Order: sequence, then C-alpha cells, then structure tokens
Amino acid sequence: MRRARIMMAFAVAGATAVVGVLSLVPGETGSQAAQSVARPPSPGDPLTGDEVTRAGRIASATWRSHMTTGRAELLYVERDDDKAAGERRRADAYIYDYRTDRLVVRTVDLARGEVVEERTGRGVQPPPSRGEETAAAELLLADPKYGGRVRAAHLKAGGRPLVSAADLGLRALTFTPRPGDRVAGACEVHRCVRLFVRLPDGSWLDTSRIVVDLSAKKILTLEW
Amino acid sequence: MFLRLTLSSALLAAGLTGATGSTAGSTETAGTAGAAEAVRAAAGSAGAARAAQAAPGSQPSCSSPYRIDKTLPNGARWQLCWEMRTIEGLTLTDVTYTPDGGEPTGVLRSTALAQIHVPYDSGEPRFHDIGTIGDDAIALKSADCPGGERRSQFVCVTTRARGHGYMKSDGEGVSTSVQGTDLVVFAAFQLGWYTYLVEWAFGDDGAITPRIGATGSLSGFTTTPGYGWPIGVGSTKFEESHNHNVFWRLDFDIEGSRGDVVEQYDFAGSGTSKRKLVKTVFDEETKAVNGRMRWWRVVDSGVRNADRHPVSWEINNLASAEYRGPADEAFTRADLYVTDYRACERLASTNPTPGCGKSLDRYVADGKRLTDPVVWVNVGFHHVARDEDADPMPTHWQGFRITPRDVTAKNPS
Ligand SMILES: [Cu+2]
Repeated sequence: MRRARIMMAFAVAGATAVVGVLSLVPGETGSQAAQSVARPPSPGDPLTGDEVTRAGRIASATWRSHMTTGRAELLYVERDDDKAAGERRRADAYIYDYRTDRLVVRTVDLARGEVVEERTGRGVQPPPSRGEETAAAELLLADPKYGGRVRAAHLKAGGRPLVSAADLGLRALTFTPRPGDRVAGACEVHRCVRLFVRLPDGSWLDTSRIVVDLSAKKILTLEW
Repeated sequence: MFLRLTLSSALLAAGLTGATGSTAGSTETAGTAGAAEAVRAAAGSAGAARAAQAAPGSQPSCSSPYRIDKTLPNGARWQLCWEMRTIEGLTLTDVTYTPDGGEPTGVLRSTALAQIHVPYDSGEPRFHDIGTIGDDAIALKSADCPGGERRSQFVCVTTRARGHGYMKSDGEGVSTSVQGTDLVVFAAFQLGWYTYLVEWAFGDDGAITPRIGATGSLSGFTTTPGYGWPIGVGSTKFEESHNHNVFWRLDFDIEGSRGDVVEQYDFAGSGTSKRKLVKTVFDEETKAVNGRMRWWRVVDSGVRNADRHPVSWEINNLASAEYRGPADEAFTRADLYVTDYRACERLASTNPTPGCGKSLDRYVADGKRLTDPVVWVNVGFHHVARDEDADPMPTHWQGFRITPRDVTAKNPS
C-alpha cells in the first residue's frame, strides 16, 4: 500500500522473449523503499526504491527462465542483512509459485547484479503480500455464500454499493492448519490466508472462520 | 583484515608484540583476553581493545534519515540505525552506547519484533500477527511524536523523562537528585483491529527497554462466560479473553560478534536464610523459563570496564503471563531462547525462509554450539477485557529490561 510494489505475473503460454507484466506502483514509499537519493546508500540503509525494483527484476527474470508452467508472484523484496555478506548490498526476493506450491527466496547481490543464492521449499509460508490480499478478497467476493454478505455489509456501512475489492480495507495473514484440521488440511502445503476486512465505517467483518486457499482458489470455512 | 591491523598496531604501541591480532576478542583462552585487557590498560582507555573486535558504532553503517545519534542531557550517547522492514516492521541495528566520558560500546547488531502470537481462550482463533507489518505502519502526525522528530513519516525519535536517576541526602537534610531521560524510538502499526505501539527506550543510565503497547479496538469476538468477560450493558456479551505473546529477537554483538557468551544466574536457597549465586553458562543453543530471582546476561570477557570487569548486558524483568500453548505451538513453552546466529532465523513462529526452521523451538532443537548468540525474549500478556477497554481501547504495555552490568565502573548518571 505504502511500499513501492512490484507485481509480476507469469503467463503460461509460449511467452519466450516476452517479459512478464511488470507494474510498479509509484509514489508512496514506506517499509522497504528508502527515498530516492542521488548518493549511494550506506551499507546499513534500507533498500532504495530503485534497488527493490532492480532486485525484483533480476530475481524474477532468472527464475522465470527455469519455469515451464505455472503462475507465480513476486511477493516482496527485503534487504538481506546476513552478517556473512559483510557490507555488500543484497536483497532477498520472495517468489511464490502457486502451481507447485513452492516458495523461492532468491538473494540478489546488487553490485554484481545477479542471484547469488536460492532457497526453495514447500509448506513454507511467508506473510501474504498486498497483491495476495487483493486476490484473496476477490475470491471472497466471488464466493456464492460470502460474496453477497460482504456486499450487503459494505452497503450498510458505507451507504454505497461495493465496486471492487479496493473499496475494502484489507489485511491478510498466513493460515497454517492445526493438527487434524478436517477442513483446511490442504493448507499444510497450499498457500492459505486469513483475511481481515474493514468496512467504510471502520468496523471489521467477522472473518475469523474464513480461510482463503489461494492455491486452489477456494474459500474454506473453519469448524470450531 | 582491518581489525587485525588495528589490534596489531595497538599491540605494538603497547609493547605487547607477543600476541597475535587474529585471536582478538576470543574468550577461549585466558591469555588472549588478558592480552586485550592489557592493551586497553596500557593505552589508558578501552579504545584499542574495543576497536580490535569489530566495527563499533563510531562508524555508523547508515546515513540520514536512518541514522539516530542522540546525546542525552547527562552526556550519555546512543547511536543506532533504523529500518522499516516489510515483514518485521521497525528494526534497529548497530546500537552503540557511549557513557559520558567513556568509550563507545557496540551492544546490539539488530533487534526487532519476532512475533505477536494471539491465541483466544476458547482455543480458536489463534493468530500469528506478524505479516507484512512494515506495510501496516501508521503515518505519524506531529502530535503522535511529542517533543520529537518524525523520520520518513513512520518512525518517531524523541526523548522522555524517566523519573529520578538518583536521589541522596547528605544526612544534614540536604539532598541531591538528578532526573533521568530516555531516548525513545517507536513506530505504530495497525494490525487488524489492534494498534500496536512498538517502542525501544534507551536510557541515559545505559538501559534499554523494549516494549509493545496494544491499543486500538478489541476484536469483538464473543464467547461463553467461561472464556470471556461481560462488556457493555448487562451480562449478555462476553468478550473473549486472549493472550498477546510477544517475541523479540535480539542479536547482541558486544563490540562485535565474537566473544559473546550468555549466562543464567539463579540464587539457590528458597526457604532458607541464604541465597547462593548459581551461574550457568550456555554453551549450546537452549531455552529457559523465568524464575523470580533469575536473570540472564550477555557478556564479552574480551571487553572490560575500568575496574577490569567484563562488560555485559543483563536481561531481566520479563513481566510475562507465561502462556504455554499446545504441542504444535512449542515455541510458546519457554520465556527466553538462545540460538546461534543464522540470518534466516527471523521469526519465533511462521518463519518465512525455506531451508530454515519454522519456529524457535526448532531453532534450538539441535543444540548447536554457541559462537554468536542471538537472544529471543517471550513476554505474554493475558488480556481479559473490561468495560474500560471500550473504543478506543486504553494502551496495555508489555516488555522487559536490558540493563548494563559492569559497562561502566561507576554510576553513569
Ligand atoms: Cu488484547
């Protein structure tokens, strides 16, 4: 929301030379992105907006060439502060592949302009990105059971009909099932999130039993 | 390389050419520590020996607006850097303390929140509130940062009175007293219905107080009387009780990462007239629980104060509800963990990196030998709602203390 965000979608169809859709939301700077400054950043400074963009591009491009199928998202880019890296400027790009349910964390050395480390795992769930919050809200709105309820609550709270997920205040957290969960057991491996939905009057919907499975594109209702 | 040269030249200057610089800061051999100590004594200050270990805060790793450098009224100086990380939110790095007239001492390489675990008393829901909290930082207004300055909208750097630094009567009824001051660095995050104030206070006495304040709104979850408290008119709506189990990650690097050791202190003799000091040195990754008189310290015997006592920071006053969760939340079952530094171990639960443990209990499971300890502190607050918690909810605070032990040879105030 306030961070310069990069969302990259990877098309399955024969997009050999075509770079994925890269949209950088400009303007606001927040968490990661340091203000753009002429001087080079000090070793301990947060990543600059330019560094975030560059690291995301480098991490995604190389990774994409190894992909044959699937849809993935670059979630966010964090400064890599590993002591072993000394004063080198490095960035960790978090990429999630929903088809194979793999998290890929690629470390980019910004001076060298290349990926220097890659870690991949299943069932490892980093916090949801802003893009995933929106995707989860869209699934919720499209759900036959909950979509209508959210729209009705929005109309009641805001006095106007809901146009899109952007009308809602959103916050998502990763959801990991407890042992023996009969409804959301797939979330051991799938990318599942809880979604908090804030209405125009500042109130929150009770979504505590709702889980959005982004891998299966399904809404789950927890039993407890 | 630079460090070794620094020590070598210091040793030459001090006429102690028999020692080698590469072992600076090691506590493995008494001789080495002794050599470093001798250097410092010969040089008449801590400068040479301290510079030998690693780059301290005299060369801050960050620049404006991320650099904080504050000298408090009594002359105590704190230098540090801040960063708003996407996942952990406000993160402070390269924290260096310089008492009035003393030498700079690197204290923390990094500290940040590592989790806010919020399980409700009926068993569900159970939230791990660290998401991308850097994105949930609240833009601060001037009034939100009284007497201070805002950095990049989201961080407040200010000072605050902390009451009496000391007071003493001379016996003739004439007293002297001094008022203490804290440097305060904080940011606020809107995490769902709660607003969390995440704060570190750096005292002019060398103490650090990390704490978190929960305010904003109650969740509004209702439950049966056994799991809640009646809120509002009558006794029909029972707001569900819950815990806020807050974890901090603290990478102590006392003058560099080498030579740091974590010790636990107990005082045996409960039920008798004596209390005998019992010291436990943590050689391996471990976890520990609170005890009424128990405390811990991170000590570097290669760094000495003017009394030749090793410099340390003590961790105490974990005013915690000591929530112990079910088996699948084993990370809640201790109050303090010590791990060996791994860059990928960042959160107490739901750790986001492949190839790394998922939670604190896993980090310590292999009992790896400690060479560069990282301390994790768990402080819980059991929140039983009351009528006063009506919107906007009053802030409830939880945190702990990090106090200097033998950093200076006298009262630094
Ligand atoms: Cu609470």
